[in-house]
Amino acid sequence: MNNSGVTILICVAFFIAGLVLTVDAKAHEMTPTYPKFESSFISGIQKTKMRLFNRRSDVSYYEIGVFDSEWEPVPFVTTYKIMKMDYLETVSFDLYINTKDLSNSTYICSKSKLIKSDVISTGIASRICSKIK
Amino acid sequence: MKNVLTAVAATLALNVIATDVPVSGNVQMRCLITTDIPGVYGNPLPQKLSTAVADGGVLPVVRYDITLADSYKAKITTPTSFSSSPALIDTVTWTGSTAVAQTSDAGMSGYEAAKVTYDATTEYDLTVAGSTWFSATLSATNGYDKAFPGGVYSAVLVAECIAK
Repeated sequence: MNNSGVTILICVAFFIAGLVLTVDAKAHEMTPTYPKFESSFISGIQKTKMRLFNRRSDVSYYEIGVFDSEWEPVPFVTTYKIMKMDYLETVSFDLYINTKDLSNSTYICSKSKLIKSDVISTGIASRICSKIK
Repeated sequence: MKNVLTAVAATLALNVIATDVPVSGNVQMRCLITTDIPGVYGNPLPQKLSTAVADGGVLPVVRYDITLADSYKAKITTPTSFSSSPALIDTVTWTGSTAVAQTSDAGMSGYEAAKVTYDATTEYDLTVAGSTWFSATLSATNGYDKAFPGGVYSAVLVAECIAK
């Protein structure tokens, strides 16, 4: 192989490496998977701490929901039900549930909220649900 | 002279102090949903929109990363309506199917055969820790041989990860 062939090969290798490194992965994460509740400072109210991580550059809002085993909504309190999150931002939040509602609660979910005008052709909404055991 | 230099070098070497720098980490059990490819509708016929490659579309691809085996279910729901479109006066017929596109572990080979499909939703039991890529083939067909009006069409696929 002559010098120009080697140069072309090196250029192609750098181009492919650049493509691989610039792939924009968009991910949504919520932990813990199995949250544990503890007594809050208000009697009759239990609380847990959840953590959300936004690695989706196309999403700025996440909606929090609590559901029973039949996916019926259960009342709960967080600072915001729809959270604004910047790209690569991590948010930890406290979630409060009435003790009598806790026994019916099964899932704590976060769902990405897509802005209608941002969806081009097909959009992907992601939802992650932790389970209360 | 040589001996002096050797002695100095040996003394310096004795004075080098090795320090261990601890690096610690914690991998929490979790599910991570990554939208690898959002997908694009092709328009092979005036009355049809499809993400199939043969129809000029791009399949949406979602990756699930699981750090704890047998703790999650993946639920993927294909769209049954447009999130935005021009005004449509006819009924649109929707079809959608989800398939395992790639896996990071040979133990995931049974996922496709064990999937459960109902309505527009497909469920997979994620029994092995690692990454799984799912792709979805979506199509929307307008009334009987009626062309879709010109404009921008978009629909949303829902990818869910539910703790078991």
